[in-house]
Amino acid sequence: MRTRLLVVLSVLALVFAACGDGEGGDTTQPQDGETTTTAETTTTADETTTTGQAMEAPESINIGAVVPLTGAFGGGGAQIERGYVYAVDAINEAGGVFVEEFGVAIPLELDVRDDASDPNQTTSIMDELAGEDIVAYLGGFATPVHAAGSATAERNGIPYLGAATSTQALHEQGYQYFFSPFPKSPDMAVTVFEMLDGLIPEGERPLRVGIFQEATDWGEELGPLFVQEAENHGYEVVLHETYAPGTTDYTDLILAGQAADVEALLSLPTPPDGFAIYQQMGELGWKPPFNLVIRAADVPTWNDLGAAGEGVVLSTPWHPGLGLPGTEAVNERHIEEVGRPADPVVGSAYALVEILADAIERAGTLEHDAVRDAIASSDGLSTIIGPITFREDGTAPVPNPHMQRVGAAIELIWPAESATADLVYPSP
Amino acid sequence: MTQLVLQSVVSGLLVGGMYGLVALGLALAFGVLKVLNVAHGELLMVGGYAAFFAFTVWGLDPFVSLPLVFIVMFGFGTVLYLIVFRYVTRTEIHTRIKNSLLISFGLVLVLQALAVRFFTADERTISTAYSSEAITIGLVRVPVVRLAGLIVAVVAAVLLEWLLNRTRFGRAVRATSEDWTRAALTGIDVNRVYLIAFALSAALAGVAGSLISLGYSVSPNIGLGWTLKALIVVVLAGLGSMRGIIVAGLFLGLTESLAAVWLGGEYREVAALVLFLVVLSFRPQGLFGRAYA
Amino acid sequence: MRSRTQAVLWLAGLAGVVAIGVVSGTQHVLTLSIQTMTLAALALSWNILGGYAGQISLGHAAFFGLGALITRELWLGGSSLVLAVAAAVAVTAAVAAIVGIPMLRFRDIYFAIGTLALGVAVFITSGNLWPGITSLPADDLRDYDFTSRFFMTLGVLLVAILVSVWLKHSKLGLGMTAVRDDEEAAEATGVNAFAHKMIAFVISASLAALAGSAFAYFSASYFPNFAFSVVWTFEAILVVFIGGVGTIVGPILGSIFFVVGRDALPSGIDEFQVALFGVLFIVVVLLFPGGLTEGAQKLLGGAPNRSQSPADKPTTRGGKELV
Repeated sequence: MRTRLLVVLSVLALVFAACGDGEGGDTTQPQDGETTTTAETTTTADETTTTGQAMEAPESINIGAVVPLTGAFGGGGAQIERGYVYAVDAINEAGGVFVEEFGVAIPLELDVRDDASDPNQTTSIMDELAGEDIVAYLGGFATPVHAAGSATAERNGIPYLGAATSTQALHEQGYQYFFSPFPKSPDMAVTVFEMLDGLIPEGERPLRVGIFQEATDWGEELGPLFVQEAENHGYEVVLHETYAPGTTDYTDLILAGQAADVEALLSLPTPPDGFAIYQQMGELGWKPPFNLVIRAADVPTWNDLGAAGEGVVLSTPWHPGLGLPGTEAVNERHIEEVGRPADPVVGSAYALVEILADAIERAGTLEHDAVRDAIASSDGLSTIIGPITFREDGTAPVPNPHMQRVGAAIELIWPAESATADLVYPSP
Repeated sequence: MTQLVLQSVVSGLLVGGMYGLVALGLALAFGVLKVLNVAHGELLMVGGYAAFFAFTVWGLDPFVSLPLVFIVMFGFGTVLYLIVFRYVTRTEIHTRIKNSLLISFGLVLVLQALAVRFFTADERTISTAYSSEAITIGLVRVPVVRLAGLIVAVVAAVLLEWLLNRTRFGRAVRATSEDWTRAALTGIDVNRVYLIAFALSAALAGVAGSLISLGYSVSPNIGLGWTLKALIVVVLAGLGSMRGIIVAGLFLGLTESLAAVWLGGEYREVAALVLFLVVLSFRPQGLFGRAYA
Repeated sequence: MRSRTQAVLWLAGLAGVVAIGVVSGTQHVLTLSIQTMTLAALALSWNILGGYAGQISLGHAAFFGLGALITRELWLGGSSLVLAVAAAVAVTAAVAAIVGIPMLRFRDIYFAIGTLALGVAVFITSGNLWPGITSLPADDLRDYDFTSRFFMTLGVLLVAILVSVWLKHSKLGLGMTAVRDDEEAAEATGVNAFAHKMIAFVISASLAALAGSAFAYFSASYFPNFAFSVVWTFEAILVVFIGGVGTIVGPILGSIFFVVGRDALPSGIDEFQVALFGVLFIVVVLLFPGGLTEGAQKLLGGAPNRSQSPADKPTTRGGKELV
């Protein structure tokens, strides 16, 4: 019977998979990426160790990054990857990370894997990486991926740093290995109204607020927070509509906004939806004086939008205009390789590596729990996104700048001290 | 409220026109070749990028580049047929559907991945000077871009009908769809019919993609969403009916829009899908299909 | 004699798999195995409706998702796992029975797209009603036990296999394949087509729910609507066809190929890795139109297995469309 051979074959396949993995997948390859140099340009580190500690230093410190490079989150994932690569290269060029346990500075080695925006793959790749002696995980982009990622990291007991997720709920599960110094819903809601109050004089404020809430967990989280903050600051929520992500036609929402005479429109759409909303607002001929879109702003796309996207205020986790340490080099490289100033999430991702490197140095070892503790005790560490001090839940106060699309330029308008231009209000 | 309803009707019809256009190509491939090409949306995506680059690199207005996109995608479809789908059409109908489903799945992966590699994963869109223009009729605004999309859809459907019903080639196509073994026996070059039909289906997908690039946005992973819509429209229209496709598309778009008015934005698609099922229960052969024999 | 050797070999295979669960310490292997087994179970469940009864459902994920949802809610809410799973399967079976009444009136492509529409509608609704994430509490994660998950999933897979085997050799199964091959002819010989389709539908849905509960038990953290995603349906179908529809080994083989293959591709070439997998896929389909099982059999010489895909049957009435 042929079937029996197939049964044997399949069992063999499984056994091979098991064995092959046991030998340690040799996949500690240099990071991928179309445009970058590898991270192993510096010295190997198994020469002289200092006194006593006769532990042989590893050739490199392995970091496992699981990033969606294809699939729905591919655009954001590309930014994240860039941030990681730039940071690792910068640190290695400066000599690597000094690990006391071995008494030498060791270069970082980044292994970037694509999980195709599929949380199942995120989990299995992370489990694979766990067997490869990595010191920590670097996460991908967008909450579904981070949800799987943070839980897997917790289960595996390996520190996980992630950018590009604003859902506070992920931090309320008592996880200890998950760190995300990124703007979160509660802070974001407050910032929006502080910005409105700060940039617009009292008599002219757009007090009638409308919210287009996406039917996702983040939408459900942020929507009510907007309502609450609006109340706290004396604004009136006149419209609060929900829609499912992926909707092709927003006529009903737009007309409702028009009918309610919304003056400040707040939305948090996934990229294709955001553009669709503003395209259609242009077609239907209605646009309130103030428009805020919260999402890692995709610069090329908003530029594509032309008049319909004019004047839209975009919330971002970071902006080169903040002038924080390290920005210049990153910006230069980004312009050279990508053709435009550094994208928002690049900075956030870059900082994660900085935090990790610093933590390893302070821990003096590559042992997971020690590194985790070191990360948690980061105290005012200076990074490209500013000073970092983690809260107990793994979040940290971080900047939440806002940009505005004006003509062909995207100007930084908040915080006021770093602004490159004034807010254009009402919207053209 | 009246404005909301009227505007929703208009928007719904305009979106529906788009659905119809997207479905035309799929209907052709499925009706003639009996292949289920789930990579149809990816072909749409490729066409969309073609139009986008024609616009950004050469400054060609998407309507001007439409014939160009058509030709390019026709070529692309030809290549795909020769490399891949040709082998599928040599088998029996049931195997065909199954194999084409599998193969086109592989194609989805390939095209999406290559698109990310060559175009980046960012969403792109075409904005022309007239992108936000609209014709105002009473309480409603009819956006020019979408209206043009509907017109293209109708024109394409009419041309396709003409091709199928009034030309010799069309007769060969119909004969092949009906019974390919018998058609072969009467001397029709079945392979050639298949090739042209498939290439045509790819070209139509490309044209739809072009308009989507203009009216919405294009990115490597938009394919599946549009394929799903196209599948619904094809079945709603009923197999074997080309003229019904646009109408079915309009119907779908309209139901979505009106559902949004009364049930809220979250349930617009759900309501439309449920209505689709209801219609199918009463008319299992689709709105315009021949009665199930 | 033959069937005894077959049984022995199945047991040997089982022993091998069990060994993996007990012996291999690598998390990666365990995770991959669990994911493979879950997909295989889901594929087998689809195979009952699609392979045996010939009804191509594209909304299968709805049952997988429902099973996962109920299991997760009950289990995280304090019920024992067994109870949660039992409830999930029972409820899903009931839902399938109700839904099947209108749906099974459709045939062929209409059934396919009809179930697709239903599946998508359920997916969107699940996202609207349960947008919040479902995560294992941190303490549970730190004490996470892979072994129990492995064997639970193995158990699920075994149930799916046993049900498939039993069905295949039963009169019920025979009736199903008769309906698949020619519904009218079957009716003419006294087979109640609707009843057989309904039974296949319910069994298929129940097993899908079981697979879903395995997913719910295994997963650390996910969004409920993810389990309803149409991708699960597609992957299950792909895996069935790649492996060989209508067989039992087929879906299992296909799952291994898909999950392990996708994971094993060398990283380091970014998007090309995905593209490569796609190309590999196409090549396999073109080379083995009857699925891997048939392909392997041909390679080893000999006629393909009898109860293969309906593909091998010539379509009646020449090349005329049946759809």
